[in-house]
Amino acid sequence: MKNSLKLVLAVVLCVFLAGVAGFADEYILGIGFTIFMYIALAQSWVVLSGLTGYISLGHVVFFGSGAYVFILIWGLVPVWLGVFCSGIVVGLVSLIVGYPVLRVRGPYFVILSFGLAELVKNLVLINEARMYVSMRPVFGAPALYQLYTAMLLLAIIATGLTYWIRRSRFGAGLRSIREDEEAAETIGVPVAKLKLLAFAISGVIPAMVGAIFIMRSGIFQSGDAFTPIVSFTMVTMAIIGGSDDAPGPFLGVVFLVLLQELLWVNWPEVYMIILGILLLGFVLFIPNGIYGWLSEKYFGNKKNVT
Amino acid sequence: MSPSFLKISNLSVAYEQVYALRDFSCNVEEGRITALVGSNGAGKTTFLRTLSGLLEAKQGVIEFDNADITYLPSHKRVEAGLTMVPEGRLIFPDFTVEQNLKIGAVSKRALGQVEDSLENSYKIFPKLDQRRHQLGGTLSGGEQQMLALARGMMACPRLLMLDEPTLGLAPLISDAIFEMVVHLKQIGITILIVEQDVNRTLQIADNAYVLENGVSIMEGTAREILTDPKVRESYMGI
Repeated sequence: MKNSLKLVLAVVLCVFLAGVAGFADEYILGIGFTIFMYIALAQSWVVLSGLTGYISLGHVVFFGSGAYVFILIWGLVPVWLGVFCSGIVVGLVSLIVGYPVLRVRGPYFVILSFGLAELVKNLVLINEARMYVSMRPVFGAPALYQLYTAMLLLAIIATGLTYWIRRSRFGAGLRSIREDEEAAETIGVPVAKLKLLAFAISGVIPAMVGAIFIMRSGIFQSGDAFTPIVSFTMVTMAIIGGSDDAPGPFLGVVFLVLLQELLWVNWPEVYMIILGILLLGFVLFIPNGIYGWLSEKYFGNKKNVT
Repeated sequence: MSPSFLKISNLSVAYEQVYALRDFSCNVEEGRITALVGSNGAGKTTFLRTLSGLLEAKQGVIEFDNADITYLPSHKRVEAGLTMVPEGRLIFPDFTVEQNLKIGAVSKRALGQVEDSLENSYKIFPKLDQRRHQLGGTLSGGEQQMLALARGMMACPRLLMLDEPTLGLAPLISDAIFEMVVHLKQIGITILIVEQDVNRTLQIADNAYVLENGVSIMEGTAREILTDPKVRESYMGI
């Protein structure tokens, strides 16, 4: 497909999805909200983990921290400014936290990222307990169609960001880190700087997603806001879809959320089993994900060749 | 031909408490090939890794072009014109030949002339031109070494440091690599080469240092060292 045609199709799709907000029922809006949420999350995950190979199993830390920052300033600032601020605050903090965290590689980084999310969860828990708060309700949140539209916007931005970074020199630098970090360093790629930047960028959107999410759930509770399930779900979606380029997470999320709805309605008892088998199958047989497989099969090019 | 092109004074490098290089001083003259020879574990690779900023010096000073670069991070050294072609080639296997080359021009200085450099690389290494859309990992060992050299050249280096460029290559391919090194010198690149193939390295080098257990035991022109009976006995088995 020609690039301009792709762009036109994407714009038409986005306008259509935004238009749906006006008349669709709660159920459709709810599914749309979930799909957009995971697209935004999985795309952000790809910026760090897909491109650099630093697999984060604790990406919920950004989601939860964003939600927490948002609930703390809830009522003090206008709603959407609050969402924006939570993204900025989390992005800035991750520039500091990322510095020591990204010095660790491979499996150690995977474990550390997971541990970091648990650590922050418990810090928030302790802090809340000290203030005698067990949960914080969100009163007067915007209507679902507004949250739907905001999430759609984040999904579009996240997808565009991944698409653009993947094709930029910045993205080439990130991928050279994934290929061979030492070689990248030797030839002059400023690896420490690039990794840190990718870490912060991949945290900003999940933080805003977290803020919007608690307006939908109506409540902030640190156990829920930092649940590892969110981390695992976005990783699963990115891997099943393909974690090297923007179309991957998009396909993975749509596939999984729809499958989830289908299974949930018809076979709730085997739902988790089927998901597990799927992930296993993809990792073993289609490691490049749906997108990688499609582009190899139908466009005759290997995943990494542009 | 200023003598202070690259000047290393009393350099010591250690892994924890174990010294891999001790009180080593050397000079690399502009436009020449300087060789560092010695057996396994002599400290050669340690030396190059320290020069390119992957390891930190414990003591000593590294001056490049009269500027102290001892504690400069890797990418700033590349920016200044110091480029290393690492041991074992370390090309990016899932990047195409062309992507491998392009990422070699990552520094600001090299980025401006990336198209010229690319054309130039293909002229010097016609094999790479034929394979420009092939993945790096599918090249043969010799071709990968050529690619690593070309990628190093993409950074527009003033000093190219080669770490064991013929390691694991067939003799004929090694010959081609050595010829290429001489060619690079002829087009004006200063070269610092580290090799186990003492005999052939000294034949193409201008100056040389012999390292043993992290200490320099001999230095001079390559010709002097090549004809030294002790060197011939311990490194060439003659």
